[in-house]
Amino acid sequence: MTTPDLAAQSAYGRSDRKQAKASLPVQILLVTWRNLVTIFRTPVALVPPLVISIFFLVIYESTLGKAANFIPNLSGNSYLGFILPLSIVSSSLSGSGIAAQNMVRDIESGYFDKLLLTPVSRAALLLGPILAGAVILGIQATVVIVFALLLGLESATGFAGLAAVVGLSILLGTGFAGFTVSAALGSGSAAATQGASFLFFPLTFLTASFVPLELLDGWLQTAAKINPITYVLEAMRGLLNTGWDSAALTQGIAACLILGLAMYTLAVFALRVRTRRS
Amino acid sequence: MSNREIVVENLGKEYAGGVTAVRDVSFQVNSGQIFGFLGPNGAGKSTTIKILTTLALPTRGVARVGGFDVVSQADQVRRIAGVALQEIGIDPLMKSAELLSMQGRMFGASRQEAANRAEELLRLVRLEDAKGRRVGTYSGGMRRRLDLALALVHKPEILFLDEPTTGLDPASRRDVWEEVRRLNRELGMTIFLTTQYLEEADELADVVAIIDNGAIAIEGSPAKLKASVGTESINVAFDSRETAENARAQLSDMADTIQTDRDTVRLYMNQAAQTIPAVVTRLQQANLNPISLTLTQPTLDDVFLQVTGQRLQADAAQPQAA
Repeated sequence: MTTPDLAAQSAYGRSDRKQAKASLPVQILLVTWRNLVTIFRTPVALVPPLVISIFFLVIYESTLGKAANFIPNLSGNSYLGFILPLSIVSSSLSGSGIAAQNMVRDIESGYFDKLLLTPVSRAALLLGPILAGAVILGIQATVVIVFALLLGLESATGFAGLAAVVGLSILLGTGFAGFTVSAALGSGSAAATQGASFLFFPLTFLTASFVPLELLDGWLQTAAKINPITYVLEAMRGLLNTGWDSAALTQGIAACLILGLAMYTLAVFALRVRTRRS
Repeated sequence: MSNREIVVENLGKEYAGGVTAVRDVSFQVNSGQIFGFLGPNGAGKSTTIKILTTLALPTRGVARVGGFDVVSQADQVRRIAGVALQEIGIDPLMKSAELLSMQGRMFGASRQEAANRAEELLRLVRLEDAKGRRVGTYSGGMRRRLDLALALVHKPEILFLDEPTTGLDPASRRDVWEEVRRLNRELGMTIFLTTQYLEEADELADVVAIIDNGAIAIEGSPAKLKASVGTESINVAFDSRETAENARAQLSDMADTIQTDRDTVRLYMNQAAQTIPAVVTRLQQANLNPISLTLTQPTLDDVFLQVTGQRLQADAAQPQAA
């Protein structure tokens, strides 16, 4: 074996060891970077949420687009602009699973424990995968929107509105990631995490998915009014079809934040339990 | 700077549900020592190492690593201790240089420092040629070497190695031994080592402690421990466990200590060679026919067997016939 100078002094060796750790922002960046690297090394995992979203978009548009003329109260005049938000919402909800999948992979491989042996903060362990997931959510939403533009989408609020839709999608998906990450931390199992992410199913369909809220049946309308996704959809639809509507936008953002807050309370609790030394 | 010692006093660990993993463990590892920590599966080895490396909390007693309390000063312990756990936790999608750099940066190194350190360690564990490959493509030996390198990133003063050579071929094992010795000799690193191979403890450790049933059963230098089990043993193998038990009864007065291990009776004594004729005569009189009879110089394996009543690992047990 060769003999490198192991004893060499360094800023992070010996002397000032008590302070030897990266600052929190650097830790978060490192963990985020690490998660992005692994995500881009398994690009196939990104395909299904994207394909499903685009597939839905095309099917809904082709099936219901012509019938849209018969739907009263349809804000604006494009069914594509009405249905696109559903496709984006489902892509961001299912895409939110990426953060959790990454986390569970680290737990299963033992790398999570390895990180706990460094002075890494818990916040970095939680935020790293989530921020990496947010980057992916942004890319997904952008791809779906570009596809819709190719299908002939015309945004009522122009480019800025489209950017706001992407922003909402990131906000929603990142909030929901709090839930899938909680499942990952709580179960430590890939299968259980996968199962938990199916909550996106009722969330995307117990809402004004295909027709405006007013046209829904009694019980479904009640469910839709409770479902935060409804307000996110409304906000996005406003942006795409009718124009800037600060009330709808505020409601949409508030819905994302409330959902996120609830999910992250859960996630912080799950992280505590997972990293508690027992 | 730590004092490079490990002090453990009356350490105990009971899991919720009343399972006692560690009953009462006390020992001290002095600065610059290589300490071999041995024990059968389930004796409390892993739990002890988890407590010492801050991954688990004790329910009783005190443990200080480098002078820092493992409960209240976990962060300090993490900074001066390097840990290579038995389950190698490395992300298969990452490359070794990336993992090493990231680990270094977590400990506060700059990008450049971390990259240099990664290069240095890759050279040390001879993974330079594989540094651009994903860890998932590495062999078991390569992964272990990377794990050792990861434990060394922050220049620890105390190194915990949990079965560092399990699953390695003999050549790689010798490399790890050499490396452990060098880290200890040149850097004065205190090394806490668990192993399934008693030969390894004999080869490396200054002091060996055997844990059994959640408590330290015996502790001392390998030479002292070997001497304590008698200088030699006569091993007589029979065709069945019953015959062996029978023979044990016949021979019980001829040795200081006598044991049966499956179909073999072991008689521990001094000057065993001179006792062989008497043993043979006694067996003939009892009409018991041995299949083989060997004379063994004591090894740590014998110490382990005598202390715990079992072999550490069936395939690791190779008594040297004299």
